[in-house]
Amino acid sequence: MEATVIIIFVIGYLLIAFEHPIKINKSATAIVTGVLCWTIYALFSETPIEHIIEQLKEHFGEISEILFFLLGAMTIVELVDGYEGFRIITDRIKTKNPKTLLWIICSITFFLSAILDNLTTAIVMVSLVRKLVPNRDMRLFFVGLIVIAANAGGAWSPIGDVTTTMLWIGGQISSVNIIKTLILPSIVCLVIPLLYLQVTLKGELGHASAGNEPGQINSHADPAAVRGAKTMLTFGVGGLISVPFFKTITHLPPYIGMLLALGIIWIVSELLNPHLNEAEKKRYTAAGALSRVDVASVLFFLGILLAVAALQSMGLLNQFASYLAETIGDNRIIITLIGILSSVVDNVPLVAASMGMYSLENFPTDHMIWEYLAYCAGTGGSILIIGSAAGVAVMGMEKIDFIWYLKKISLLALMGYFAGAIVYLIIYPYLAVHA
Amino acid sequence: METLVIIVFVIGYLAIALEHSIKINKTASAILTGVICWTLFAVANPTESILNSSQFAHFLDGLKLDLADKFSTIGQHELYIRFVGSELSHHLSSISEILFFLMGAMTIVELVDAHHGFRFITDRIKTENPKSLLWIICWVTFFLSSVLDNLTTAIVMVSLIRKLIPNKEMRLFFAGMIVIAANAGGAWTPIGDVTTTMLWIGGQISTLSIMKVMFIPSVICMLTPLIYLSFTLKGEIGKASESGAKHKAPDVGGGLLMLILGIGALMSVPIFKTLTHLPPYIGMLFGLGILWVVSELIHPELDEAVKKNYTAAGALSRIDVPSVLFFLGILLAVGSLESMLTLEHFAGYLAQTIGDNRIIITLIGLLSAIVDNVPLVAASMGMYSLDVYPMDHLIWEYLAYCAGTGGSILIIGSAAGVAVMGMEKIDFMWYTKKISLVAMMGYFGGAAAYLFIEHLLGKN
Repeated sequence: MEATVIIIFVIGYLLIAFEHPIKINKSATAIVTGVLCWTIYALFSETPIEHIIEQLKEHFGEISEILFFLLGAMTIVELVDGYEGFRIITDRIKTKNPKTLLWIICSITFFLSAILDNLTTAIVMVSLVRKLVPNRDMRLFFVGLIVIAANAGGAWSPIGDVTTTMLWIGGQISSVNIIKTLILPSIVCLVIPLLYLQVTLKGELGHASAGNEPGQINSHADPAAVRGAKTMLTFGVGGLISVPFFKTITHLPPYIGMLLALGIIWIVSELLNPHLNEAEKKRYTAAGALSRVDVASVLFFLGILLAVAALQSMGLLNQFASYLAETIGDNRIIITLIGILSSVVDNVPLVAASMGMYSLENFPTDHMIWEYLAYCAGTGGSILIIGSAAGVAVMGMEKIDFIWYLKKISLLALMGYFAGAIVYLIIYPYLAVHA
Repeated sequence: METLVIIVFVIGYLAIALEHSIKINKTASAILTGVICWTLFAVANPTESILNSSQFAHFLDGLKLDLADKFSTIGQHELYIRFVGSELSHHLSSISEILFFLMGAMTIVELVDAHHGFRFITDRIKTENPKSLLWIICWVTFFLSSVLDNLTTAIVMVSLIRKLIPNKEMRLFFAGMIVIAANAGGAWTPIGDVTTTMLWIGGQISTLSIMKVMFIPSVICMLTPLIYLSFTLKGEIGKASESGAKHKAPDVGGGLLMLILGIGALMSVPIFKTLTHLPPYIGMLFGLGILWVVSELIHPELDEAVKKNYTAAGALSRIDVPSVLFFLGILLAVGSLESMLTLEHFAGYLAQTIGDNRIIITLIGLLSAIVDNVPLVAASMGMYSLDVYPMDHLIWEYLAYCAGTGGSILIIGSAAGVAVMGMEKIDFMWYTKKISLVAMMGYFGGAAAYLFIEHLLGKN
């Protein structure tokens, strides 16, 4: 049974990777893969069915939290975009030089992602580059680097990324220490791909033309008819930034804060333009924004995460992690491999598996393996586009092809990943509390 | 804190009901209501009744097992916070199951519709007489709903009447009757409705007995409004106008194939559930995945941009996502009332002050028009014990009837109603004015019939 599930997972994975040549939408493949993995587990496993249902319920609850968070964030950003709210920011960026712009965008992404989660950061930044970089070929490189920058920026702050937060809440790392030891490796992880592109990137930003993107035009506001761009930008960005605060105050999961922000901005969007009639108004409300949000990528995420959850529930990830530990021995190599693996399967179950594999008694708070794990699991996901939540969201927004990313970005991401890893391994003896 | 949450709930409810007058989308109100209820619950000081409840004790037992010796280091307030978190994630998981089921069903039906698949059914219905059409539609809904769940049935039937009845005003009455028929049809079979299934799985009712005694009351529950409308319904079915058809994509073939696959997928959901024991949304996603792949493969001649309209990706952009979020908000709000034990307190209060079980259960049925019927039935199952009221006792059967059909009285009282509300943009107030009264007549008609039958059978 385990072999069958793994084979299905691999086939599903290949079909997703080769979405474009075989012409089957990746969401369809992901859903079928996730469902089949659970079906086989339910039908042929010796685990009691009640236990399997319990496992599914637990995973599904966690997955739904991510999905509603994603849906909320995407709708808020789409709504701000519908009002041309981002133009207020993009109008200030005057540079026409792609390389300078790339450095600006990546630095903003990096630091924004340290405060906000990677997913929200990536969605906001991609909305910005849509305005700034009309030339699609050029924009895809920007988008790829946004994924790398968002993941790198999340790794060094305890609230910047799910896995770092897990380790922080679990008591494996402490705030000040993780920032101190990981900020340099994270910067290197981003700067290496940036330097590479500094030399090789060719092409122009392009000019916004009417014929360039027919799909985009009708969703854009007519500035004469609609007001409130600034209000929406303020509420949108304010809403996204308040999510972590809301979580700290109420201890409720982040998606609740995101839904609160969505509910408020929804009402604002309905009240801003009382002079429009119902039909005109609809485009500028959250209801209109929701019809433009890419729901298919939400279902893609559902399918992928269900499939990975099946592997996790069957104990396969745990087995694999301990197999690595037994055959390799050196923790640094194991964790480096876990980071690379996190570009194939979700990094949350991987980190969870690792947290179960090593005990806090042998490896106390701020031990090197926890910090290195935070770095690897956080940044390794950039190597493949479906390796991180930021990548999946961006893939849906910009219709990036798995293979394109693999050819153009993966190598850069890998270089950054290893460079940051080497930097960490060099500096940790001087900074870490436990060697 | 409890009072405050109830006030928020009531205000949110009024904002939803008066959506059109106050011009705030009901989804925004519902989301905010749900979120604020949970926020108040989370930041408040725990009440005695929650700390002494069996739910809290159960939660502590689970936590003790998980944490072992670390358990004693957690303070009282931290325990409460964790309890709220665990309640919320428990609710979200159940709610999401409904939402993804709904999304899957809506996408499948939309996909069949994009291929003009329903034409193969609607072309066979030749009648131009609204009243005979209403009878046909209601009976089909009634029996379909006893096999499929109410939600799917309502979505399919509303898609059909969209084709059959171009006249919007007339169609709204049909949509209202579909809600009543779907809920009534679900009440008399153990697999037709979530609450009946709950009672069946819990051992409170048995298959044959429930079908035997509940069939006639369910039929009456639907027939009373149907007969009433047969006399009062005025107007024409209307002609398909250009404006109605213009947003539809042209027929590209494959309609029959998509219809068969779509209906097959919806029908196989309960079978899938029986075989694998996995929850229904998994079966629905499976069906969606297969239809999605087929929809991508059957039009190799079309170019990408045109083809998109005929794939599930295109269908997904046309389904009404706000009504999914509306449902999320409403169910989160009701979930907070359930977790704060407000519903249980209310049911207990009813039981103490009224005494007669038949009246209590009738009221629970009416209440299920306001809050979701699943937590209500769950609360009732906890309130009465199987020792005192054995399997197939009057109160269980009557509860199955009341909780199953009472939801029709308000449009947001049942999953079928909420889905139809999103699909046809039915106004809460329109439904309250035009349908609620007839639904109530049917509800009481069926209830009287059930109590009479029980009297004849000498149960009581």
